[in-house]
Amino acid sequence: MQFSFTPDQREFAAGLREMLEREFTASHLRAVWDEHSGHDSALWLRLADMGVLGMMVPEADGGLGGDFIDTILLIEELGRAAAPGPVFETMTVGALALTGSRWAPGIADGSVAVTTALTGERYVPHAASSTVLLAAVGGEVRAIECADLGQATVDGIDRGRRLSAVGWAADRAVDIDVDIEFLVDAGALASAAYLLGLSSRMLAIAGDYARDRRQFGQPIGSFQAVKHLMADALLQVEFARPAISRAAWSHATDQLSRARDVSMAKSLASDAAQKAARSALQVHGAIGYTWECDLQLYMKKAWALIPAWGSASFHRRRVADAVLGPRLNG
Amino acid sequence: MDLTETAGEQEFRAEARAWLEANVPPEPLPSFDTEEGFRLHREWEAKLFEGRWSAVSWPIEYGGRGADYLHWLIFEEEYWRSGAPGRVSQNGIFLLGPTIIEVGTEAQKARYLPAMASSAEVWAQAWSEPDAGSDMASIRSRGTLSEDGTEWILNGQKIWASRAVWADWCFGIFRTDPDSVRHKGLTFILIPLDSPGVTVRPIAQLDGDTGFAEIFFDDVRVPVENTLGGVGQGWGVAMATAGFERGVSLRSPARFNVAVERLIKLWVDIGDPDDDTMRDAVTDLWMQAEGYRLHTYMTVTKLLEGGSVGSESSINKIFWSEMDLRAHELAMQLLGPDAERMDGPYESWVDGFLFSLSGPIYAGTNEIQRNIIADRVLNLPRA
Repeated sequence: MQFSFTPDQREFAAGLREMLEREFTASHLRAVWDEHSGHDSALWLRLADMGVLGMMVPEADGGLGGDFIDTILLIEELGRAAAPGPVFETMTVGALALTGSRWAPGIADGSVAVTTALTGERYVPHAASSTVLLAAVGGEVRAIECADLGQATVDGIDRGRRLSAVGWAADRAVDIDVDIEFLVDAGALASAAYLLGLSSRMLAIAGDYARDRRQFGQPIGSFQAVKHLMADALLQVEFARPAISRAAWSHATDQLSRARDVSMAKSLASDAAQKAARSALQVHGAIGYTWECDLQLYMKKAWALIPAWGSASFHRRRVADAVLGPRLNG
Repeated sequence: MDLTETAGEQEFRAEARAWLEANVPPEPLPSFDTEEGFRLHREWEAKLFEGRWSAVSWPIEYGGRGADYLHWLIFEEEYWRSGAPGRVSQNGIFLLGPTIIEVGTEAQKARYLPAMASSAEVWAQAWSEPDAGSDMASIRSRGTLSEDGTEWILNGQKIWASRAVWADWCFGIFRTDPDSVRHKGLTFILIPLDSPGVTVRPIAQLDGDTGFAEIFFDDVRVPVENTLGGVGQGWGVAMATAGFERGVSLRSPARFNVAVERLIKLWVDIGDPDDDTMRDAVTDLWMQAEGYRLHTYMTVTKLLEGGSVGSESSINKIFWSEMDLRAHELAMQLLGPDAERMDGPYESWVDGFLFSLSGPIYAGTNEIQRNIIADRVLNLPRA
């Protein structure tokens, strides 16, 4: 039993964090918002160069041949930066579904972005900036080139995640022979790790503000009401973390408990992100309720991802079925 | 990362399970907060010691097995799953023992540890005072050196001293520098409870038993050799002890996993299968207990790889105490009319509910823990 990441895995994640802190700050993210593209091609190529995008792509296809355990800390860092585009989708669901296909080398070199509609999405995120869509059709997985999609964009709450209603001609879709539940679990797990990073970022922003902002002659972070609000949020974040690591192991090693473990991870990560966003906003007071405050860039990403890849009630029900047995009357 | 157990770990688990199956009393013992229960729990501790299971993480020379934290966790899982009695020796074995191993002299280790491991000597803790609860640094009980410098003369009052009514020894901190304030000038001292001048007055707790007590010290004399750590270093020694308490050792996850398993069984036995609210609540609790287990395994791996646990132990303390309370609140909901009966088939749940209410208070209230998290983990400014 060894519940930890290797020094290599930790160093790779630390390197990614440093790069993102330097090269993808809140103002870079705000620029993506302002142009409303939901994508940053310079960042995308930088991530490809570092090997981040191809971590789970086999070496034969130009990737690093890693597994979910190698990847999960990287996704957390991408969440901490709220990296735009279908980044965790491409790295995990895309890499797992498209292994050996003509798209796989492009995932590693940054020329292919993969978006997904595997859980009954009414609006597909990132379709306008992606290369290929993986969609569920009658319980099977199909790949469609995004160039072949009919698209009508809609406004989403998170401008780093552009939404479209899509349609395609049946003859443009290619069958992908992969278990859909395996892919959905990958996406749910990756979104959980991304939410964990987002949560940490929101608490860090709130901490900076609480140290800086003074009322009644002292920093507001010295007041117990503020301390306890943030301590409670941190508590939820810290207890989601090992559940996400465990689920990465369960997915990577194909454990029988994979579905339960992934659903537990997504439930806890979604709850933690909701709490972190709410608490961070409250710590900010009125300034947090402005367009100008950077907190919104991260909160809105969290609010978009909390219901994505299966709602909280979907995942709770899956945990309940595994732990308590299925409901008798369905 | 590998979450499967090694052959060695499985073997250790099997050995612990076999011993527990052969030795755990078939019927639950009466509460160790009663005289009879205390005696029976002390006998059980002696039996554990005979099997070398009373202090598995201690060095072999003092009665332990030299087990690392991971093996200790495995033992704890087997221990609580077997339905074995609560640990009347916990203040000694899990709190004071590790502190003596860390800061004690060789003579102190030889004198105290073996008797602690066998529960020939059961320890009580004496931290709080009437005016020093959450604000422990404001303690006023005094220790003065005798004229020849060989003895401490202790005066003052301690309160909420768990196990003190029937225990043999207690440990606590005393103000040994009369001019000192707050965290300075305090010394950690070990005191036999049968010393002349010690008066122990039981306090009935919420459940009616006398689990804790007041201790009065009137010119109590103990040798200066009973000082643990340096004179004036008491606060640091106490914090190390309290860190163990809140951190890994006091409440291993297995207790809560077993409590939640019992809750699930209760829900299956008497719950309404159509009650989705209760189904969700029980599921949430299962996730919390599982999350705590995983969190502990992650912490233990970190320790084994050379890391240390600091203020994060406050995060653990809040988490387990509120989870335990929530489990028992749910059980009370499930029990309905039986929840107000103290002597029926569900007595252990009602007792457990009352006990769980103490969790957010003892070992430093959860409000103090939140302050510690805010100050030391989130780096917010001190008040």
